[in-house]
Amino acid sequence: MTGRHQANEAQKRKVALRNLAIVTSCVALLILLFIVSMNTGYIKLSPLDTLRILFGGGDDRENLILFDFRLPRIVLAILIGAGLAMSGCIIQGISQNALADPGLLGINAGAGLTVILYVLFCGANSFLSIFTLPFLALAGAGAAACIIYVLASQKGQAAAPLSLILTGVAVQAGISALTTVLAVKLDDSQFEFVAAWQAGSIWGSNWQFVLALLPWLLLLIPYVLMKARVLDILNLGDDIACSLGVAVRREQRGLLAAAVALAAACVAVSGGISFVGLVAPHLARRLAGPRHSILLPVCALAGAVLVSAADTLARASVQPTGIPTGIMVAIIGAPYFLYLLAKSK
Amino acid sequence: MSSILTKKLTVAYEENLVVDELDLALPHGKITAIIGPNGCGKSTVLKAVGRILQPRNGTVYLDGKDICSLSTQEVARKMAILPQSPQAPAGLTVGELVAYGRFPYQRGFGKLKPDDKKIITWALAMTKLTDAEFKDVATLSGGQRQRVWIAMALAQQTDLILLDEPTTYLDLAYQLDVLELLYNLNRKQGSTIVMVLHDLNLAARFADYMVAVCGGHIIRHGTPEEVMTAEVLRETFHIEAKIVPEPRTGRPTCISYDLI
Repeated sequence: MTGRHQANEAQKRKVALRNLAIVTSCVALLILLFIVSMNTGYIKLSPLDTLRILFGGGDDRENLILFDFRLPRIVLAILIGAGLAMSGCIIQGISQNALADPGLLGINAGAGLTVILYVLFCGANSFLSIFTLPFLALAGAGAAACIIYVLASQKGQAAAPLSLILTGVAVQAGISALTTVLAVKLDDSQFEFVAAWQAGSIWGSNWQFVLALLPWLLLLIPYVLMKARVLDILNLGDDIACSLGVAVRREQRGLLAAAVALAAACVAVSGGISFVGLVAPHLARRLAGPRHSILLPVCALAGAVLVSAADTLARASVQPTGIPTGIMVAIIGAPYFLYLLAKSK
Repeated sequence: MSSILTKKLTVAYEENLVVDELDLALPHGKITAIIGPNGCGKSTVLKAVGRILQPRNGTVYLDGKDICSLSTQEVARKMAILPQSPQAPAGLTVGELVAYGRFPYQRGFGKLKPDDKKIITWALAMTKLTDAEFKDVATLSGGQRQRVWIAMALAQQTDLILLDEPTTYLDLAYQLDVLELLYNLNRKQGSTIVMVLHDLNLAARFADYMVAVCGGHIIRHGTPEEVMTAEVLRETFHIEAKIVPEPRTGRPTCISYDLI
């Protein structure tokens, strides 16, 4: 009996150590990327220069580059990556569908439509766009998600995750078609603006955007982490979850709302970055297993690493404009996802 | 001390009535087997009794109280339901899955207390899974996996366990293995067991009480001797069956049958 007990304790220590190692290495990787990212861009700053500027030894031009251009963008990339990844993790968890991602709830499509409508009526270079656009995109994303939810609900019953996904695919296609029709009416400068937004260029990289996004994450992430156990149970299927005493539809609704809000807040700031919510949870599940108390934090870290790596590469690759981050995420993420699929067969 | 009673229970999908004004009393401390042809509503009855499905009309009483008036957590401490062939997420270990059975008793971040751990160890021992605690559920055979789910239901510490076709997809030995396990739980722990079974002979061998259902109505309920008759099977399954007492157990057995 004590022999078995000791073996059990040893096994549990091993799992705890492994989880610690995963989190530590993700954090280390993120810090490394942070440093590399600060040095990357049209104007090269060496690590020593960066350090000097950080501690107040830079001239005006250097300060401007680091504090006003690069730092907010890096911080945004990290926050967006973490938010989108967690949103994807929640949606995959409650739908028990490994191919679900926030895009399926109409978030990208809804935000894209409001952006194009705004540009069409107010112009691309309107003075207000930098402040109003994220809010409009947020409203559009939320509205699209609500429409999908209402359409997926049947006669007063709450929507089941599967019908939600199917409805999402249909509504998303409809909104995208509408967006394409509207895009034809844009002039060149408007079109360029919308295209850059849809490609996910993290275009609004200043501190206001960080401040606009941060409250959402600070509010929603603790809620989601608190629900980690409920997510574990929901992941067993609706019937088992009910048997174990989870108020299935109510919890699903709350978690869905959190996932939509997380993704919508991120997409509003970043533009159309879509692959993170799909790939990061897969990556995290391979590293940390299916339990959400460890899966969710690892997932957030994986998303942050993915987006900041993509953003760094995007800035380093084509000078001076850079490739949009969203495209770079897809360039890194798509082959990896195919590799995962091939391996799981 | 749990008992289940349904009064005029009616369940419908869209416009199709699947169960129509069903009055059913499931005896306390006994093994009940629900039998019936495919699509007759037996799984639906089980799900409605387990509050997974909302009835269109009528009431399910758990210990004399309307099940809809109880919180889902309260019900989860009295009744566990295992649906047909549940799926565990990849990478989950046996011990972790069985520990989920403690969910109805946990609060906050849900750290397992010493009591919870004791119950999990007991549930693993009852189902002979002690050595498999750290194995990935996905790597187990179908029969062992069914044991893991039953262990999870045991960890839930309910007087009532509802199972929907617990022997489906299992070979002969594992079917018997699962039913013996449930039989022992009933006889040693006094658990009330209600299950939907396809195999009539296994149902008659292990059940104390049988319910034959067809078209959302009860054809006959009572002891296996009362239910396993040529007449009832003709009405329920539309078959002409030859029933004899099994020489070892004395329970009625269907040795051959023809379509009508």
